[in-house]
Amino acid sequence: MAILKAERLEKTYRIGKVDVPALRGVSMEVQAGEFVAVMGPSGCGKSTMLHLLGGLLTPTKGRIIIDGEDLTAASDAKRTDIRRRKIGFVFQRFNLFPTLTADGNLRLAERIHGNGAGDPERRREILGMLRLEDKMHHKPLELSGGEQQRVALARAVITQPAIVLADEPTGNLDSENSAIVLNMFQELNRRFNQTIIMITHNPEAAAACGRIIQMRDGHIVAG
Amino acid sequence: MKVFDSLVTSNIRQRPMRSAISIIGVALGVALVMLFTGLTRGMSNDLQRRSSNVRGEIIFTRKGSMHVTASSTNLSTKYVERLLQIEGVEAATPVIRHIYPSGTLGFDQIEGVDWNEFARMNDLRIIDGRAPQGNYEVVIDQTKASRNHPVGSSLKIFGEKLYTVVGIYVPESGARQKLALASLQETLEAPEKCTYILIKTKQTADPVAVARKIDQELPGNNVQFTKDVFASVESSIPSLGLFLRLLVALAAVVSALVVMLAMHTTITERTREIGILKAMGASRAYIVGEIEREALLISALGMVLGFGIALGAGFLIHKSTGLLFEYGWKWALVAAAIGLVGGAIGALYPAMRAANLDPVQALAYE
Repeated sequence: MAILKAERLEKTYRIGKVDVPALRGVSMEVQAGEFVAVMGPSGCGKSTMLHLLGGLLTPTKGRIIIDGEDLTAASDAKRTDIRRRKIGFVFQRFNLFPTLTADGNLRLAERIHGNGAGDPERRREILGMLRLEDKMHHKPLELSGGEQQRVALARAVITQPAIVLADEPTGNLDSENSAIVLNMFQELNRRFNQTIIMITHNPEAAAACGRIIQMRDGHIVAG
Repeated sequence: MKVFDSLVTSNIRQRPMRSAISIIGVALGVALVMLFTGLTRGMSNDLQRRSSNVRGEIIFTRKGSMHVTASSTNLSTKYVERLLQIEGVEAATPVIRHIYPSGTLGFDQIEGVDWNEFARMNDLRIIDGRAPQGNYEVVIDQTKASRNHPVGSSLKIFGEKLYTVVGIYVPESGARQKLALASLQETLEAPEKCTYILIKTKQTADPVAVARKIDQELPGNNVQFTKDVFASVESSIPSLGLFLRLLVALAAVVSALVVMLAMHTTITERTREIGILKAMGASRAYIVGEIEREALLISALGMVLGFGIALGAGFLIHKSTGLLFEYGWKWALVAAAIGLVGGAIGALYPAMRAANLDPVQALAYE
């Protein structure tokens, strides 16, 4: 079953008086439980596509359906709501709240999601799998890069999103931590059938995914 | 603790100096309102308490010569004899009420009285020392004596002139310090003159009828009732109410501006975090709510500190100057509302600005 459908997506930025096309008609389908890598040179439109799929941007043309809901037809408030319920983001720079502990970051995600204390069983399982049980009372600056990214990953999946969108999640990590984090992405995908779309420049990271989409000049050229 | 692991409290703790300045800003607004209204109320109530102990019901003056904030010595004491002959008048005693510049309060007042007659009429009694007789002798009430002025100590009245405290009387009534009438007449170079004549009517007489009779017998003068002359300061000083309301508005604006500035800076610094919140699916209302909660917590802390400052400052000012502060619930609630509502309104613009940030641009913010 396709959990995500993008049809002829176009995105053009207006910079001064010049129109700069970033996406030139991208169509794709991602099945539930797929782990997809998106690769391509800088400026090919990967991040724009990820932001469109996550509802952070609106396309100039085209349609995005996530888990049966039309993201492009939704108002700004509705898009935010879809993002809250169905999307989990993981960023290259971790983007944890520095004033909160790891536990505080997770609870904030649960509060925003609106499921109160969350699902304790899932929380235990995720923290165990990501080996974070003894890190929960540390603030981000007290954690290594790999640990921070694992917390960010836990935050993204704690609310059981339909899709996790990861923007170069290993871009700021050394090879050892990259391997650990990639391993955890695979584990999440396997154990929870979590759908993941991951942008990466790293062929080794892409190799960990079930499918690789290649982009160039705003088009999907392979995958 | 989980309560300290929320965005609201952790953000406040993250920038202690800025949080402290914001809290102090709100506190100053609250304290200002409490101190000004407390002082007005304290002074007004004090005046009313003291005037309620003046037993003479009628005050006889030349026209326009006496007011709460001013007085003159232009009435002949010879009127006393004529007043005593009027039916219904039991006693009449001349009083000089003199207001003079004073170092601590800006002004002070003193009364010159024929002590025996005045004390008998108003049920005053000396509890320590004796009545004033000669020049440079003064009796004071217990409140004044409690500020380190025992019998035998000296008081500076009329600039550098030292007066000896020869007695302490109760209850407090009119001015807190009283000289012998003749002494004050000499000092003011106003022999046989006074400011007003205080009249006590016979128990069987109707004060209103007596006042009317006095007006008929001695036309061209002013006959007033004591309770009207010593009316509330709040109602007798023109525009005091307006001044207080302006002060309250000013305090509200100050509180709102301080919080707005603090929250505006905080939002700019946290642009990226707001982007993260948006990426996590936080709605506009959620983001506005978080920022408003932070502003309200700052305002609530400022409000508590403001009440503390008002109480502490009021106590210290009273100790050093004798000014009386009486805090009322009504103004306390107004001050609390100023702190909280001012803070909430001040945070509204930065909160709306944050809620409307573009998430992609916010995430890219360095």
